[in-house]
Amino acid sequence: MSWSDPARRFEPVEDVQLRAELRDLLGLGAQTGTHTAEPTAELKALGDDLRREAQRRSRTQRKRPSWGLLAAAALPLLAALAGLGNWGFQQKQRADGLALQAQRQEQQLSQLAQTHASEVAKERQAKEEIQQKLQLASRKSGQRAEPYLVIPIEKPHKVMGDDYQRVKQKPE
Amino acid sequence: MTESPQETPFGTQEAFQAAFAELYPRLVSYGRRYGATFPEDIAQEAFVILMQREQRVEHPTAFLYGTVRTLSLTERRPMKNQNLSLEVVAEPGLAGGADDQVLNQEVRERMRLLSPTFREALWLFVVEGLSIREIADILGIPEATVKTRIHRAKAQLKDQLNPSGGVHVLV
Repeated sequence: MSWSDPARRFEPVEDVQLRAELRDLLGLGAQTGTHTAEPTAELKALGDDLRREAQRRSRTQRKRPSWGLLAAAALPLLAALAGLGNWGFQQKQRADGLALQAQRQEQQLSQLAQTHASEVAKERQAKEEIQQKLQLASRKSGQRAEPYLVIPIEKPHKVMGDDYQRVKQKPE
Repeated sequence: MTESPQETPFGTQEAFQAAFAELYPRLVSYGRRYGATFPEDIAQEAFVILMQREQRVEHPTAFLYGTVRTLSLTERRPMKNQNLSLEVVAEPGLAGGADDQVLNQEVRERMRLLSPTFREALWLFVVEGLSIREIADILGIPEATVKTRIHRAKAQLKDQLNPSGGVHVLV
């Protein structure tokens, strides 16, 4: 053949023999020589048309966008994503601060509650001690124990002039 | 690597004309055997795709056969049977293909009895005259697989010619 194809040119001898053997098995007979018919004018014209079509397609083929163009196209999207991420980060920081503040307030409230509870317990204990003392004292003196707590009050010996308040005016 | 305007995948313009004159009718026949409705268009499209490629194709003949096979199978994908047909190919406007002239009824019957996978490799190797390497490129399989298929086709052909297996004759 007048045109070259490396795969055909360097075909091993055993492959050629195998092909001949298979042709015999199929009953095709020996392969004829490499005579090729001269291309007709119609085929030549068709081949030239196809070559021109391939060149036209190569010229008009839309090139793939370059990396720079792709990056430029993706820039607004990246900026939006970055802004969204920044806003989200700020929101998270704010939420973390508020959570920490709430936790501190909760701790303070629990401390106050504990202090209050301990004071109440102390007062209750002191009250019980006083009741016990009063009961002991009443038993010793043979009197019936008062069912309620009596707190002695020191009355003033002398009423001062400024110590009372007039609630009614004197009749004229 | 881009080709200069004067250079073709087959070398010079004269070499391209000769290759086109030899391969185009065969590719049309090959596409028709795969059931293509417009095999001429497919063969022409294969040539255009080959010449349009920016990188040089190592085996242009195998590329053309593979492209025609793929385009033909894609065109008739909804159909179930995707095997190579052995019926006589009638090409309107063109004389019968060289393979049809040499393939008589007996040869077609022998090939029909082969399994479709082996038949395809055998057809490309014997009738189309392609090399093992080219067939591997067309079918997208390793060269060793192509050789295996061809040798199994050969064994099946021998079984057809000698159905007794050659052992029982001695008994």
